[in-house]
Amino acid sequence: MRYALIAILALLALLIIAPPLLGTGWQYALINALIAALFAAAFNLLVGQGGMLSFGHAAYFGVGAFTVIHLMQSVEYGDIPFPTVLLPLAGAAVSLLCGALAGFFATMRSGVYFALVTLALAELLHSLAPHWDEMFGGEAGLSSMRMPSLGFTFGSTLEVYYLTLSWVVICIGLLYAYTRTPFGRLTLALRDNEQRIRFMGFNAHGTKIVVFAISAMFSGVAGSLMAISNETANYSVFSTQVSALVVLHTFVGGSTIFFGPIVGACVLSLFTFVVSGVTHSWMLYQGIIFVLVMLFAPKGIGGVIQAHIEQRHALPWKRLAAPYALATLAGLMVACATVFVVQSLEIVLSREYAAAVARTGEYAPYTVFAREWQVFHPFTWLFPVLLLVPGLYLLRRAFARIQTLWDKDDDDDGDIAAAPRELMEGGH
Amino acid sequence: MEFLIVSTLNGVIYGMLLFMVSAGLTLIFGMMGVLNFAHASFYMLGAYFAYTLSGLFNFWVGLIVAPLLVAIIGMFIERYMLRRVHAHGHAHELLLTFGLVFIFEELIKLFYGDFPVNYQRPDYLNFAIFNLFGTDYPFYRVFIGLVALLMFIVLFVLLTRTRVGMVVRAAERLPDTARALGHNVPMVFLGVFGAGAALAGLSGAVAGAFFPTNPNMALELGVIVFVVVVVGGLGSLAGSLIASLLIGVFSSFAVGLDWSLASLFGLIGLGDWANGLGGLVTMPLSSISATVPFLLMLIVLLVRPAGLMGSKN
Repeated sequence: MRYALIAILALLALLIIAPPLLGTGWQYALINALIAALFAAAFNLLVGQGGMLSFGHAAYFGVGAFTVIHLMQSVEYGDIPFPTVLLPLAGAAVSLLCGALAGFFATMRSGVYFALVTLALAELLHSLAPHWDEMFGGEAGLSSMRMPSLGFTFGSTLEVYYLTLSWVVICIGLLYAYTRTPFGRLTLALRDNEQRIRFMGFNAHGTKIVVFAISAMFSGVAGSLMAISNETANYSVFSTQVSALVVLHTFVGGSTIFFGPIVGACVLSLFTFVVSGVTHSWMLYQGIIFVLVMLFAPKGIGGVIQAHIEQRHALPWKRLAAPYALATLAGLMVACATVFVVQSLEIVLSREYAAAVARTGEYAPYTVFAREWQVFHPFTWLFPVLLLVPGLYLLRRAFARIQTLWDKDDDDDGDIAAAPRELMEGGH
Repeated sequence: MEFLIVSTLNGVIYGMLLFMVSAGLTLIFGMMGVLNFAHASFYMLGAYFAYTLSGLFNFWVGLIVAPLLVAIIGMFIERYMLRRVHAHGHAHELLLTFGLVFIFEELIKLFYGDFPVNYQRPDYLNFAIFNLFGTDYPFYRVFIGLVALLMFIVLFVLLTRTRVGMVVRAAERLPDTARALGHNVPMVFLGVFGAGAALAGLSGAVAGAFFPTNPNMALELGVIVFVVVVVGGLGSLAGSLIASLLIGVFSSFAVGLDWSLASLFGLIGLGDWANGLGGLVTMPLSSISATVPFLLMLIVLLVRPAGLMGSKN
């Protein structure tokens, strides 16, 4: 616990000190990462703690964004004096109301139906918004300007970054505090055994609506921050893409741990920032990462880290080092092969390449990994196979070895290590 | 009158198409409890495979082989992915298929480009079957409806009148007992998943030649199909048939009507006041026709949360 606190404080200090040294591009990427982190944390309140899987959280994110844009317009035209720093409060309030209304409908059903209803509600907004000019500004959307407040002009990205950071830290802090309240425990109980909640005299439907509304409220804050940062919003904030990304972030990070989704959101949005500059296929890579995590690490990155921390005294680290290094190497080989194939296909199958072939009549070599490749040269396609096949073989071997070492460890110190694992798995 | 008949016809045929896709979804759900988010992706894959095959061979080869290819992909997913995460619960299966949606969409974009492809029906299918009030009604629309109808009859007979159907229904109701009686239940699951995927692939192959074939088609149709299964009640074939037709007809009528809430107020003499309000009140139904299925779903949820033919939670 003490280490966790120190780690968080160190991270916070880094987040405060580092950005002025970075370029505007990275500052902007960090703003987006922070917003994604808050959105994922808010989403996880519903999914990880409340056990209600929503596929339409973009709705509340978008409602927050549009509320703030409207308010910013009013401030800009001098209709209402409202300090820029407090704008997310308005987004939060409106999202809370919308969340309560939507939650009333959605929580009538549970499980798969709940997921579908939330998806449909977001799609309802998404299909309505482009036609409703006064409210959502049609297809072009609405835009506005940040007004100075509290002595800050909010003209530079850096000032917006610190505004975002403060709101995100406060909101994540509140979300963490929520998990420690009796109502937070009730939320967990709702996930684990709804029947029993009713049996104990609680109003399950009412509780679900409240959890849904609170989650929507914090999503609204994230949306507000997005609107403040971009100074614009259009109907695409309601799109399935936005809802999908938060699901991806949350489950890659691991929904069973409070900080999992936050880690997932930060890692993946910075990954997107770096990769989307290089390739159009970044969404494909994210999809592959997500499916791999679902298949091989169902508790996400956070779950893997947590398991390591819990077992840190019992694991035979010296004997594990070699298989871990081997797994990393093999993983890199497989990743290289995949990236190579995808990037090659992206270039060779593109319209530009087809046009060039039609123009010159020959298949020009293309560049991947800082090397030129001939399309019809056998080595071009042998290369990924040479990486992939041994890579997969080594990966299997390494993981089999790691598995035996972990399991052996369980046998060694008996029930103590096995008990928490059983508890965790029994909880589902 | 013209509007009424044409809209009903279009609506019913669109509804049949929705049913073709939702039938496989609801069949799989009823049996395995897995809501396959990637089901609409199978529809898209069917259309794209058929497009490629019709370019290489001809339209009919595409129509027959594309569903088979999709079925193979479906079975691979069931065997090597869904079965693996099954132990972690239904939520994980749902999430896995959700991730696959993006992989399929991006792969299609990678191979075919992020724009519609020119998947066309052969010219000899391009004729007017009858003349309605001076406008020709395309035969291909009727063809889509016929394929769906044929599929429904085959499915119905297969499930209720044959031994295979009996085993499938047994495996659905009481998997453990079916297994104890010597039936290979995992094999049945694999088969049903493949068959469901093939149905979606077939509808993609048929409908892709009439509606645009683009990388967004999975998401566009997918959301409507999910609305269909919620309205109809998950796991009920009859329910999804009724819901598909309802949504098909409602959407097709909504496109052609310029009613708005303001005109409703006009009936009771408040028209001018309502027109003055603007915004949502004066918006014509035709421009928000895409929202009609979702509104229908909310109404059904309020009145009958289990769906039209569904059982309780």
